[in-house]
Amino acid sequence: MEDRGKDSPRVGNKKAKSKKKKERKRYFDTPTDIEEFTPNFNKFFQKQRREVFRQRREQTKRTIGGVNNTDVIQTKSGPKSKKTSHLPNDVKEYLRKADPFPGDAPIPKDRMKKYRRGKKMNMDGIKTKHQEYDYKLKEKKLSLAVRQAARAELLLQEQAGFLEADEGEDTTQITQHDISESVDITSAQKFFELHLNQFGPYRMNYTRNGRHLLLGGQKGHVAAMDWQTKKLMCEMNVMETVQDVKWLHLETMFAVAQKQWTYIYDNQGIELHCLKMLDRVLRLEFLPYHFLLASSNAKGYLSYIDVSVGQKVAGCQTGLGRLDVMCSNPHNGIVHLGHSGGTVSLWSPNVKEPLVKMLCHGGGVRSIAVDKKGQYMATSGVDRYLKIWDMRTYKALQCYKIGAGANNLAFSQREMLAAGLGNIVQVYQDCCRVPVKSPYLSHRLPSSVQGLQFCPYEDVLGASHGVGFASLIIPGSGEANFDALEANPYQTKKQRRHAEVKMLLEKIQPEMITLDTSKLGQIDVKSLEQKIEERNKLLFLKPQNLDFEPKYKMKGRSKTKRLEQRKKGVREERKKDIIREGVARKQKQSQQQKQSELRTGSTSVLDRFKRTDRDT
Amino acid sequence: MKIKVLCRNPDEYLRETKRDIHKVPRNYDPSLHPFEAAREYTRALNATKLERVFAKPFVGSLDGHKDGVHCLSKHPTSLSLVLSGSYDGEIRIWNLPKRSCVRSISGHAGYVRGLCFHPNGNYFFSCGDDKTIKQWNMATEDGVVEEPVNTILGKTIFHSMDHHWKENMFATCGQLVDVWDESRAEPVRSFSWGVDSIGSIKFNPTETHLLGATGSDRSIMLYDMRGSAPLRKVILKLRSNTIAWNPMEAFIFTAASEDYNLYTFDMRRLDMPLNIHMDHVSAVLDVDYSPTGKEFVSGSYDKTIRIFEVEKGRSREVYHTKRMQRVMCVKWSLDNKYLLSGSDEMNIRVWKARAAEKLGVLKPREREAFQYSDKIKEKFAHHPQVKRIARHRHVPKMIYNASKELKTIKASKKRKEANRRAHSKPGSVPHVPERKKPVVSEFE
Repeated sequence: MEDRGKDSPRVGNKKAKSKKKKERKRYFDTPTDIEEFTPNFNKFFQKQRREVFRQRREQTKRTIGGVNNTDVIQTKSGPKSKKTSHLPNDVKEYLRKADPFPGDAPIPKDRMKKYRRGKKMNMDGIKTKHQEYDYKLKEKKLSLAVRQAARAELLLQEQAGFLEADEGEDTTQITQHDISESVDITSAQKFFELHLNQFGPYRMNYTRNGRHLLLGGQKGHVAAMDWQTKKLMCEMNVMETVQDVKWLHLETMFAVAQKQWTYIYDNQGIELHCLKMLDRVLRLEFLPYHFLLASSNAKGYLSYIDVSVGQKVAGCQTGLGRLDVMCSNPHNGIVHLGHSGGTVSLWSPNVKEPLVKMLCHGGGVRSIAVDKKGQYMATSGVDRYLKIWDMRTYKALQCYKIGAGANNLAFSQREMLAAGLGNIVQVYQDCCRVPVKSPYLSHRLPSSVQGLQFCPYEDVLGASHGVGFASLIIPGSGEANFDALEANPYQTKKQRRHAEVKMLLEKIQPEMITLDTSKLGQIDVKSLEQKIEERNKLLFLKPQNLDFEPKYKMKGRSKTKRLEQRKKGVREERKKDIIREGVARKQKQSQQQKQSELRTGSTSVLDRFKRTDRDT
Repeated sequence: MKIKVLCRNPDEYLRETKRDIHKVPRNYDPSLHPFEAAREYTRALNATKLERVFAKPFVGSLDGHKDGVHCLSKHPTSLSLVLSGSYDGEIRIWNLPKRSCVRSISGHAGYVRGLCFHPNGNYFFSCGDDKTIKQWNMATEDGVVEEPVNTILGKTIFHSMDHHWKENMFATCGQLVDVWDESRAEPVRSFSWGVDSIGSIKFNPTETHLLGATGSDRSIMLYDMRGSAPLRKVILKLRSNTIAWNPMEAFIFTAASEDYNLYTFDMRRLDMPLNIHMDHVSAVLDVDYSPTGKEFVSGSYDKTIRIFEVEKGRSREVYHTKRMQRVMCVKWSLDNKYLLSGSDEMNIRVWKARAAEKLGVLKPREREAFQYSDKIKEKFAHHPQVKRIARHRHVPKMIYNASKELKTIKASKKRKEANRRAHSKPGSVPHVPERKKPVVSEFE
């Protein structure tokens, strides 16, 4: 290694000499002509960059070699000073002024990984140069897109919230009142409670952009509001049991599962539709990209309705009893149902049977939640366990035993998990990958929890309970930066209308709901093979015609009876032929087998005592 | 206790005044954009469907001729001017944007066989069945009876003519291939190669001394204007009606053949065409390249015109109307946007080269949207649904049935050959490449 260090300046000198030779030929090579030198400035940048790279390479080699850092620094400065020493002063000046960090700023690897969609393409099978060039160009463009996306993170305006306890303290002990006292006024207003003690246990739902809140009391009270400004949009009593409420694609419409039918209201509370296809529904789920309203009912019937056209897309009798635990996977649109036997089944509208059925708990399943990326599923059961499942392997990752068991679960956008344990709401941070000991935050409500949902793009957890609704501040739960083309909390009316049109145009057909969402972008290899096979067959084998068509014969000879007879005869003969062929083939095969057995037969000593078919 | 809670200042997300555009903050995190592939696919499908919806290629027709249109000629410098010659000897000059006839000249007795402009566009030549070549001025005084500037009397009927791309020379063909100087009444040079009738002749736009001609003995011949003898000749199984040189690749030309196909040849290797372009169901009568050299248009006896990409064997587009009859001549305009077709029923039709293209100036956002949809269509082009919609064309019943019939004929031939191969001694029925089949022989 040291030899190398000595070598490198020598090499540099050689290069410098050759450079000098070249420089001698230049007619403008006088100090006054230094302005002329500027066009070559790029070369110096290049040189500099090369130098930096070389140094880095050497440095890494040295560190691997085990030489200590001080050595590295010495050798690093050594050749550099020698290299620049031969240059004229003005050039040195330029070099000094030049960018010390040339080129683009480096992007951290993990950030690149976040934006990368799959591996690079395998270029092995490409036949022509042109195709290879095309694919390389495409690959280049893709990597550029990844880099640009990663770099665009710099432009994000907001930073996610957080909560750190003092030393010797635990975040679990921090109450909502503590939080609301120590944050600014607008944030403090996000902690509030609604006391609605008349119309009994409430269900709730936030819109996709997190601006609007829908409450439905079991005794018929339905209210929609802009929860941030606390402006009530509508409030009514439907005079019937309300099982579940759900916003549709926008804040202009919502669905209410009532005692008998399901109804759709607009944000003024005017009844738009009565969906008699959905009767005695217990839970509703809305898939916004597919415009599908999934519902599960008391008789075990799961149905999908396309709300953009108002037609039933699919429905099936699950035969698994009362379906009051339901959740949809936001990543792939699969509906998860929890059953009293402790199983969780996964459904898509295209298959009449569950895609996956997993036994999750010893007792009945009480609640399910799936995280945003569709990687983890949290389930809680009557057996008082809370389990986290990996949705790629369908195996349990974590298993927590909680006091009375959770009756409600919800994932936040940043993978926090909220669980309602009776009248206590607990929030866990990072509970999926590593086991956690204590909750991140916890809050006691006046009555038992009936519905839980994190408000999208806000650090807020909504919890509806027996006697009202509570909005809790959970720092760090919400995604800080929204994408205005997906969900925009600050949408104007015009933008909303525009977005609605776009959403409708991009409605994904229900056939595309699959467990693996990347399937669509992959090559259909099997069918291609099949195609080629079929084509080959077509070209080189005359299609066999089993149905014999007798030629038309002279008058009197082609009576229908005779025709039939001839046909029959030919058919019989062909059948016989085929059977004969088959028998012959089988005989041949068996003979060959026997021969091969004889040839390669096992050579055990005791083989001769074995019974063979020929003996019998 | 350290705490931070998300709290957005609405001022940063709302526009300041009503005249501003809306603020659209983006976050490219893939987890915020679920169903990426499915949504993109839906967009591609919609774009493909919209393309079909907006595919209205017919721009207009120029009517005025009293007999079928036999030949067309593009003005070399002006996009708006076009010449046409008809069966009754009438030559018309058209203004394309106005879709009106500027001038009509009764040029010849009998067919107008050929028309060509001088490269500066100030005058043009015509030849006809009356054995004359006439030179006409573009600029005229009003109210004067049209008289040719110059008339040359030939010995035989001329079938076609073309002007040199730079010099004051032009070539005609009939019994012989003659090269003429504009200032002389006798041909400078005459070529013959054992054929009594040569149907069409074209100058190479890049190698300007080269000429390509098609003969009635099913041959395509190449001449060099500087030499005294013809260069090369290839004989195909059926006659070629005309050829067109690729304006971007000097060696490449495409021949329109009587056997319903077009053959793209490399001039240096005439033993095998580079590509066979199939889809017409009747003889192809004319072909013309786009100025980009990537596509060409062909007009056929089956009453359709088709657009082919040079590397592809199948057409990307087919145009037809109820009233259009046999297409005698086609031209691709020099701005790469329009096609012209002259047909038997006295009309010249103007078509868009890309059927779904929006005409006129595009706003930047519009252009961006079109580019995006083009790219996405390309990305999902191989999905069966997208492919099906993009390929679907409504064609007249006659063409539909004829193409189906051709397909069965071809399949049965193939099957027959395969069977013959399967049942004969190995090697006795050799595999002949499909591209070699149409070529009979090549002469130097």
